[in-house]
Formats: sequence, structure tokens, C-alpha cells
Amino acid sequence: MALMKIVEFPDPRLRTVAQPVTVFDAELAKLVADMFETMYEAPGIGLAATQVDVHRQLLVVDVSEDKNQPLVLVNPRVVERSGTQVCQEGCLSVPGIFADVERAERIRVEAQDAKGAAQVIEADGLLAVCIQHEMDHLAGKLFVDYLSPLKRELVRKKLAKQRRNAA
Amino acid sequence: MSATAADPGARLRAEAARALARIVFDGVSLRSAFDARAARNADPRDRALLSATLFESTRWWLRFDAALAGMLERPLPSKAREVRALLVLALVQVEVMAMPSYAVVAACVDAVRLLGQPGLAGLANAVLRRWLREREARLAALDADTTTQAAHPRWIVDALRADWPEAWRGMIEANNHAAALTLRVNRRRSTREALLERLVADGVGATAHGDLDDAIVLDASTDVSRLPGFAEGHFSVQDGAAQRVATLLGVADGQRVLDACAAPGGKTAHLLERASLEVVALDADAGRLPRLRENLARLGLSAQVRQGDAAAPAAWWDGRPFDRILVDAPCSATGIIRRQPDVKLHRRASDIRVLATTQRRLLDALWPLLVPGGRMLYTTCSVLRTENEAVVAGFAAAHADARTIALPDGLGEAAGGGRQNLPGSGGMDGFFYALVEKAH
Repeated sequence: MALMKIVEFPDPRLRTVAQPVTVFDAELAKLVADMFETMYEAPGIGLAATQVDVHRQLLVVDVSEDKNQPLVLVNPRVVERSGTQVCQEGCLSVPGIFADVERAERIRVEAQDAKGAAQVIEADGLLAVCIQHEMDHLAGKLFVDYLSPLKRELVRKKLAKQRRNAA
Repeated sequence: MSATAADPGARLRAEAARALARIVFDGVSLRSAFDARAARNADPRDRALLSATLFESTRWWLRFDAALAGMLERPLPSKAREVRALLVLALVQVEVMAMPSYAVVAACVDAVRLLGQPGLAGLANAVLRRWLREREARLAALDADTTTQAAHPRWIVDALRADWPEAWRGMIEANNHAAALTLRVNRRRSTREALLERLVADGVGATAHGDLDDAIVLDASTDVSRLPGFAEGHFSVQDGAAQRVATLLGVADGQRVLDACAAPGGKTAHLLERASLEVVALDADAGRLPRLRENLARLGLSAQVRQGDAAAPAAWWDGRPFDRILVDAPCSATGIIRRQPDVKLHRRASDIRVLATTQRRLLDALWPLLVPGGRMLYTTCSVLRTENEAVVAGFAAAHADARTIALPDGLGEAAGGGRQNLPGSGGMDGFFYALVEKAH
């Protein structure tokens, strides 16, 4: 297993639209393992392949406190959504920035697992938020896109400053 | 997504508020509302906090919802009902659960956002801070009336006062305290001494009940399915008041016994643990029978489990009479408010007459199924005379071959032809017993 580098906003690679996964082989299994390791290490509760510069429709999540409920979604598709909830979100690609985003309260997702088997996930609360957040990445979208242009500009400046200070 | 997105304290409170709103506004039972949310909280500490919060908030809803109303210029709109539940829950966490107010306020204001009502975060903050400033005067105002002091609806206060003019205050007090968890040893698989030893060795505080042969009282609530011996069927959870039933029915090996309202099977199992019997375990609700079967299987017991309406025996009775019949009738559950505080919110005064009619119908319908010289035990977890002694008196008057048997003083207050254990008395639930014998 290996830690992967997480691409950070405003890197244009985060705008890439991911392609469907068609081959479920050992290489995919290794990618999934590496993504989990990278997510847990961050620490994060969700990670999309886009964030590690792999542009395939794959994401991993684990919203449990004990980090013992890993979930892999390959080629996910939201087939039902209902209600709304507002959650303060943060993103491993936009470190240190948190903002309220409105999402569906409940979703039903059809996807495959790492071996290609079909699965259906009913999610609400934080899990629903997290899956929607990661699915946005696969479409080249970021949670900061939901903010007003003014706020997004503030985020960009704040991140640039953080990087300068870290350098 | 990064891990710190939502503070876990806020998330848990938002979840609790959603569940509480289902209980209070949709009439969903506390148990099923909790079960629906518990599955998502793997951490046992989160689950314990969720459970305690839901129990106390349901128990004290009428007090702290009134407190909230007193601080709002106009009621919250119905679409903000989860925020209303959240604010009541916050007051309960501060006042009843003695949680630090700064932590509760901060987490609850965040939780308002998680509930999708960011526009109300400011109001939530203002209301909770106002409570902390004015709490003493506001508590005193709530204490001026029994309904808001003791968080009981007016009709229950009135009914208890009318039925128990001496004891009603103590009953209301007992209703507002969480009940101890009581186990019943399966004497076919273990002994009380052996189980106590295993529990103590496992670090579980437990003592033998003074008056009941099979009962062990735990010092603190816990997830019983994790206790040693549970999977092997060494014990069940059952309040002491219900454990008296098997003794009172006076069963002996070889008898044929009907448990007419059996689910989830606690009393059925106890009867089978005490004697070798042919038991028919009947329940009207088919949905509750799997649980009954599961319980019997875990304890290594067997009964004839049937779905059927006890008031219509033609549909399920094979014509062979019973030596003993237990009628643990559907009731208002006003004797177990300490365990099911949602009774305060879900029951209506008008339910009582309807229940009493059903209860009487059960006794009348089952009486012919009893052998001459046989005994029928009528029990409820109600404390209302309309459901208890009035039902038995009406039944006895209508059946010349029915004779009520005097029950020992130790079972509680004399109540017509039966005995009433008052809630909390002997550490047990409120429970009514009446034993009727059929003439030869």
C-alpha cells in the first residue's frame, strides 16, 4: 500500500470529468487500498479518485467514528433523492476551509463494488452528504462551487496564503 | 471530504432531534425511533448518549416544550419541528442530564444548521442563552402546575389523582425516574448463583432480588446482548412485576396452558422454565411472532406459537380446554411510564374506555376454554381502575361460576378483586393482578 498525493484547489486537474471503470482487476484493488490508506491518513471520511489524479469513477468513504465501515463505490449513480439538509463541509483538496452546503437529505445510489458486483446504497445524514460530495469530484465539481463568487475568491486567497506560509 | 466537517456532538444532536420529532409529532414509538437511528451509530458511547437523550427528552417533553414556548414570541412553524425538538432536547440535556451548558449550546446551534435551518441558528442561540440567564425564574414558573412540573398530561394527572388519592404524587414521581434493568434467570439452563458469579466476574454490578426467586437486578443499564450467557439463553430481561406472573398462575407439570396475548414471549418463557407444560402462545399481531419464536429458541423452550385474536377462539382453538389461562391484556401501559415515557405523549384519555371494552371481551371469550376448577390470571401494566378492578368486577358479576381468589398482601395495594403494584414499589413496574377460579 502507498499514500497518494492529494491534488489541491485550484489545480485544474480537479475539473476533469472521470470515465467509467470497465476493468475490475488487481490494479483496481490496489488503487482502492491506496485510496483508503490516503483517506484515513489525511484524516478524511471520503475520497474520490479525481483527488488523487486518477480520472475514473471511483470513490471511497467511511463516516464511522471507529473507521470500520469502509465503502467503495464504483460507477455510482444517484437514482433517487429527497429532502434537503445543510452540512458544514470541508474537503481534503481544499484544506482548512469549511462552508455550509445544501444537499439532499436522503439518496439512493446504484453502484458497483471493487469486484464489479452491483450494489444499492440507501444513505441519509452525513453518509448521504459525503457520497454527494465525492460524486461531485467525479464530475469535476468542488464544494466551493456552491459558494458565492466573492466567497470563492476569498477561499482561493486564503489557500494561496496558507501555501506561501507553508513554503 | 475531510473528517472535521461536522462536529460529532452536533451531528448526534441533529440525529436525536430528528428521532424526537418522529416520536412527538408522528406518534412513532420511542423504541422504534431509537432503533431506526441506533443502527447508524456504531460507537457504543454515541448510542448510549442517543438513547439517554431520547428517553429523557420524551419523559420531560411537556415540561421543557412549555419552557420553550414561554421564550418564543410566536410558535415555530411546523416545518421547523425538528428545531423545536432540538431546543427542547438542549434544555433537557442542561437541566435533567446535567451536561455542561456551553457545550450543549454550541453543539445545538451547529445542529440547527445540520437540520437544514441555518436561518434559525441565531434564534436557537438567543433562546438557549436566554434560558441560562433566566432559568431559575422560569423553572419556578413551570413548577407552579403539576403538568409542567412533572411533565405529565392533564388527563393522566387527573386520572391518577381520582384513582389513587393517597398515592398519586408518588406515582408521578416514580414515572419520572428511569427503571433498573432486571434479569430473569432461565432455571433450565443456569442458576441465579451461577449467573451472578459470571456477571460479577465480568465487572457487571448485580444483586439478587429479595422477593423473587429468579430475578437479578443490575446496578446500571447496559446492552444485555453483550452480557455473558445471553446467547446461550441463560437469562432474559424482565421486570420483577412480570416475573410474579408465573408463580401466581400456579402451574404444575403436565398442564395445558394458554398465554393469550403472548408476544414477545417473556411470560410464556418463564412458565416453561418453571414447569413442563403444553403451552399455546397466542398473539393477534403476526408481526410480533418471529420475536416470540426467537426468544423461545434462544432459551431452549418450545410452545405452540399461533397467530389469532384471543377474543375470537373459534378461529384458532382446537377444542381442548386449558388448565390455566394467562390474559396479559393490551392496556394503557400507564404502569410502565418510567420505561416507556412516550405513553405520556401517545395515549389519550379516550383510549381507556376502548381498552376496557377489549379487556372485558377477552375475559368473556376465553372463560369457556378453561376446565372446571381451572384458573385464569388477568394482568395489565396499567394503574387505572377502569382497566383493572372494574373489568374484573364486571366479568365476575356476569359469570356465576367465576370466583376471584384473594392474592397475598405482598403483591401491592388491594384493588377490588385484585392487587395493584404501584410503579416503583419494590423497584418494580406498576402492574395489576387478578386471579379467577372456575367452579367445578
